[in-house]
Amino acid sequence: MAAPGTVEFRDVALDYRIYHDRTLSLMESVMNLFGRSSSSETFRALDGLTFAVAPGESVAIIGPNGAGKSTTLKLLAGIYEPTSGTVSSVGRTASLLDLGVGFHPELTGAENVYLNGALLGLGRARMEELLPEIAEFAQLERFMDSPVKYYSSGMFMRLGFSLATSVDPDILLVDEVLAVGDASFQSRCYDRIYSYRGSGRTIVFVSHDMEAVSRLCGRVIWLDRGKVVRDGSPGEVLPEYLSSSSRRRAEDGSVAPREWGSREVWFDRVELTDSTGTPRRRFRAGERLLVRALIRARGGERVEDIVWGFSIHRTDGETVVGVNNLELNRPLLTVEGSLEAELEIGLEVPEPGNYLLGLALTDPVRRRDYHWLDYHFPLELLGPRRTEPVRLVDAEWRW
Amino acid sequence: MTTSPAGTWLLLRSLVVKDLKVRYKRSVLGFFWFLLKPLFSMVVYTIVFTRIIRFGGEIEHFSLFLLTGLLPWNFFSASLNSSTRSLLDNTRLIRSVYFPRTTLPVAEVVANSVHLALALCVLEAALIAFGHYPGPSLLLVIPATLMLMAMVSGMGMILAVGNVFYRDVAQLVEVLLLAWFYASPIIYPLGKGLVPAAVESAVRFNPLSGLLSIFHSCLYEGGWPPAWAWLSLVGWTLFFVLVGTAVFRRAEPVVVKEL
Repeated sequence: MAAPGTVEFRDVALDYRIYHDRTLSLMESVMNLFGRSSSSETFRALDGLTFAVAPGESVAIIGPNGAGKSTTLKLLAGIYEPTSGTVSSVGRTASLLDLGVGFHPELTGAENVYLNGALLGLGRARMEELLPEIAEFAQLERFMDSPVKYYSSGMFMRLGFSLATSVDPDILLVDEVLAVGDASFQSRCYDRIYSYRGSGRTIVFVSHDMEAVSRLCGRVIWLDRGKVVRDGSPGEVLPEYLSSSSRRRAEDGSVAPREWGSREVWFDRVELTDSTGTPRRRFRAGERLLVRALIRARGGERVEDIVWGFSIHRTDGETVVGVNNLELNRPLLTVEGSLEAELEIGLEVPEPGNYLLGLALTDPVRRRDYHWLDYHFPLELLGPRRTEPVRLVDAEWRW
Repeated sequence: MTTSPAGTWLLLRSLVVKDLKVRYKRSVLGFFWFLLKPLFSMVVYTIVFTRIIRFGGEIEHFSLFLLTGLLPWNFFSASLNSSTRSLLDNTRLIRSVYFPRTTLPVAEVVANSVHLALALCVLEAALIAFGHYPGPSLLLVIPATLMLMAMVSGMGMILAVGNVFYRDVAQLVEVLLLAWFYASPIIYPLGKGLVPAAVESAVRFNPLSGLLSIFHSCLYEGGWPPAWAWLSLVGWTLFFVLVGTAVFRRAEPVVVKEL
């Protein structure tokens, strides 16, 4: 028997079925009885994945979307069974995959703690011992007797995190960046995860946030299409991964910058800056983004009722935000010859990473597309500033 | 990943307690609904079958006879409906934590059985009050009820899995229960010559007939149940438990990905 905290994947494959049309499935299965072929096919999410993690290691799993990162975590948590190969993990596994998922809104905080304890295989007596600590870490001592439906979403997540990490796991699974509660609670979450790292427990961390990866993990496994591309220290793997992912972005034609429109009005010059006017492409959470543009009208004419829209996309082209001044009931633009205009954007960033900003000048009423700049401006949005590895408690000068 | 029997038992108990707590928070009448529902159907059926269609008059205390069958029937239909939906209702949980998932349909059945047990006590009191004294066979109600629970759990496992693949299953169960009710000896007794012989022998194949006959004998009549009833109950219970657990075990890895 291996030591608690050991994880081993041996030649693991996992297939999903993909349906082309789910609504037909009952009909389809009746057809299948008569020997018709099915319209579903399988998709191999993991393909011969082999790796081992020793107790006390903290490992990050990185890779582009669809690489199999979350599937790997679900196999580790025992939620999925591999289609072939073996997955073994020794010891208690706590997962921060979906915080507070087992909570029932009608039950009180304490009742939910007991219920979740049972889900993790811990009896009531053990949970009673842990309850004060769980409540204290979540800062919910006074609310443990209230039904969780009266909790704010922050309180809910805090209880979820506190519960999941208080049960003394041998293996901790963390998916993506922890967006739990306010900044001070987030830093306490990170402190707790760091302290796990020090106490010889295994951490498996999936993230797109390379800053967090290099800070938290001593080893990085880079997956792509269900296979290990590289496995090594952050210093070895991350630079190569980053250059590969920017290459991937450039090669992917679907999100290449595009520029089109009738150009009766157009963006003559666009500059991305922070609120002080310094040109920037990286923004931290809470910082405001300023788009400063010189807009011109053809022939120096006067054009009224211009709608200025913007959109933010993931690097694969998926739109995350798309809005304009008409939808937000802000005044429309009028350009007489030319106009210096500013667009100030405040964002919340639950998922830090690389994004693309697009801008557009249109007039939906007159059905005009003046000027579109699709996927034009790469942005890097960072998470909130976290605990520094060293924090000053106090200092005194004496003489 | 495996869980010890003790862990499974702990989880099952917690889920049942949760189910009961959640159901009766903010409900004034609470548990009594479980008794009120069959009582209400009893009143309706008594009026229909003794005043409108004259049929029940041949059975002494027809209302009590009805209630004896209605209590296990309501348990059966409530458990089957909720266990059929149990996997789909817990999609998020199943997708983010590992635990023995058989506990989900089984917990629904066990939670409902708590109601059944309490309601049966009330029924027995009413039966005694109207002169239907119990015999030693009363104790047989306990193993019969346990077998019923096992049988419904088995059915629930099959239907819960089916419902993940085709949402139609839950709807189908509701419709089928309507027909099933009339195909079960609840509003009519078996072995009394009140139904045509051909119908009676067909009804005996109903998985619930054995159980209902045992309830009628032990509770309403205070006598010993017929042998065929035990044969039917034990046979169907074994069948559904074996098939149910086999289906569930085989389907579980696939179901988790389908949800």
